Amino acid sequence: MSSLTDEIGERIHRDGIRWVRTDAVTLDGLVIGKHLSATKFLGSLPTGHAISEIAHGMDLGGTPYLAWWNDWRPDALGDIVMRPDLDTFAVLPDRPNTATVLCDNVELSGDPLPLCSRSLLRRLVDELAGRGLRARAAFEVEAMVFAESPSAARRLGWRGLTPMSLPAALGYLHQNTRHQYRYLDEVLRRLEAIGVPIEGFHDEAAPGQIELNLDPADPVAAADHVVRIKQTMRDVAADQGCVVTFMAKPSAEYGNGLHVHHSLTRDGSAVFHAVDGILGDEARRWLGGVVATLPAATSLHCPNINSFRRMVGFSAAPTVASWGHDDKSAAVRVLSRSALAARIECRVAGGDANPYLVLAAVLAGGLAGLDHHIDLPPPIGVASWGLPPTGWPHLPTTITSAAEALEADGRLRAALGEPFVEQWIKTRRWEWLMYHTTGGDASAVATTGWELTRYFEVV
Amino acid sequence: MESIVDVEHDPVPLVLIMANVLRRNESDPKRARLLAHTAGRVVFRSASDPQVVTIEFRRGRVMVTRGAAPDADMTIVADLATMSEEKPPKPAVSGALSHLRLALAVSKLLDPPVGDWQQEAERFWAYASPRPGCPSGLKVTCLDDGRVAEFGVRPAEYEIHGTAHRLRSVFSGGSVLGEDLLAGKLYAVGMLRHTAELTGCSLDWMMGR
Repeated sequence: MSSLTDEIGERIHRDGIRWVRTDAVTLDGLVIGKHLSATKFLGSLPTGHAISEIAHGMDLGGTPYLAWWNDWRPDALGDIVMRPDLDTFAVLPDRPNTATVLCDNVELSGDPLPLCSRSLLRRLVDELAGRGLRARAAFEVEAMVFAESPSAARRLGWRGLTPMSLPAALGYLHQNTRHQYRYLDEVLRRLEAIGVPIEGFHDEAAPGQIELNLDPADPVAAADHVVRIKQTMRDVAADQGCVVTFMAKPSAEYGNGLHVHHSLTRDGSAVFHAVDGILGDEARRWLGGVVATLPAATSLHCPNINSFRRMVGFSAAPTVASWGHDDKSAAVRVLSRSALAARIECRVAGGDANPYLVLAAVLAGGLAGLDHHIDLPPPIGVASWGLPPTGWPHLPTTITSAAEALEADGRLRAALGEPFVEQWIKTRRWEWLMYHTTGGDASAVATTGWELTRYFEVV
Repeated sequence: MESIVDVEHDPVPLVLIMANVLRRNESDPKRARLLAHTAGRVVFRSASDPQVVTIEFRRGRVMVTRGAAPDADMTIVADLATMSEEKPPKPAVSGALSHLRLALAVSKLLDPPVGDWQQEAERFWAYASPRPGCPSGLKVTCLDDGRVAEFGVRPAEYEIHGTAHRLRSVFSGGSVLGEDLLAGKLYAVGMLRHTAELTGCSLDWMMGR
């Protein structure tokens, strides 16, 4: 037994932990797992415990993916393993005698599974480390909170809900936050107890919308924090009888994003730092890769049918593969002038995206830029919104065109790994099929009932 | 030979399915001529969900797009869920009386020639078997008369059993293997891996991909 395992054992004994909730994330970003007795949990270490692989073989509506099989799956149904990352062990403040731990999805042999987005991100971080680079990342989590109970919201079809704020869409309005304190105070209390570092929070643009900003962290930890924030916000909503959604576009007017910042250092020096705004060669190639692979990465940033309803001009979501210095209309915003805060912000992802995959797509794009010496185009120089349909590098606008862009981008495919990309593209085409053949309206110009039913409470 | 049937950019499933149905006429010279000489605009709408497409016959080209053209000559409303049944309910058609020629042509073109179940199984196997993940051999048994067709390596890794009608439907792209299995319309002997891969083939076959 490692010292960390011993330490966890002592902690379980000392804190009277009777149950450990194991959390793993599906490709769609859902948190799944089991509650294990403390004895069973400790006995499963370090390998982890089994879970039926069908848990990863269903879509967001609970329909099994019955149109392909994966090499890692047994010929019939079998088990995979959830291997705890003991560094993430935390005692839950809201459940008696219960702790939680994040897990990787691995094969019975212990090898990471292609469907494990957490392992994929860790592999990319390790690859950076092998090149002498260290990444740090921080997400901005946006969510909308409504006063209705979950059952009332369902009866209303998740339409016309009462925002937990004034009805006005203003943003940064403390008067709005005042309406959210009871909810937020409990969210923040629980997050602090499980070690999720919140840098700040504020009222966002849509009625009832909250943005939480995280402290920078190791990329895997940064994505872990998003998973825990979303779960905690859902738990508190359930406990307080209200509803929260991270859906990219829950209504015709407003959307939820998942912007992600990252920095790189080499030997302690900030790679993106440029006092005069002129980026160094490594930064230019990295950024060139991030921008060039953005159309392909859109599939990961915008995973669902609904994700693309957010991607319209003048709605604060990017629509072209552009970059700019401190330009919030661009898809990629570069902040280079401070050595301490030199970073790149990618603004494409919707609130419904899997955070491990969002960050993996960004890092894989940067790595592709280094490997393929991708040239950095000039900064866009104009507002990135409302640009004509031709003459500009528009991002894909549908789940299928985004999947095609990913399929066509050999550089990003190679960096992410073929088995993962192959699986991902199949799941996106399946989502397209489900939308069109189970009641979704192909001609709808705004969020449909099908999308609200499928995504509002789940993604 | 290049098809005269085109689809919209980034097509939806029903567009692909209808285009595939229309293209099947191109293997028969008489029907191919009918396809090429028809003119008019037809809306094909699902009776049970929002799926709807417009087929525009332009004498020499056919275009299939999502949505309902407001100025269509004819509208057909069909229950997609029962279209592959042996005796499906008749679709509701409007505009046929004022566009008799178009109505006659469309009724033929949307019901393209289909072989018997063995012929269709052979075509499906030729399409599916090169794809990775498919079984090395397939045995098909007709429950009506016990006749058997075998393809690929024997003994077959995978078996499909069903009535002649159901087998003909699934192998011609009229229905999807996985759905027919879940509904108890077909039976299978084999591994889930092969069920899934063959269902993927079946879906692509239906959509002409």
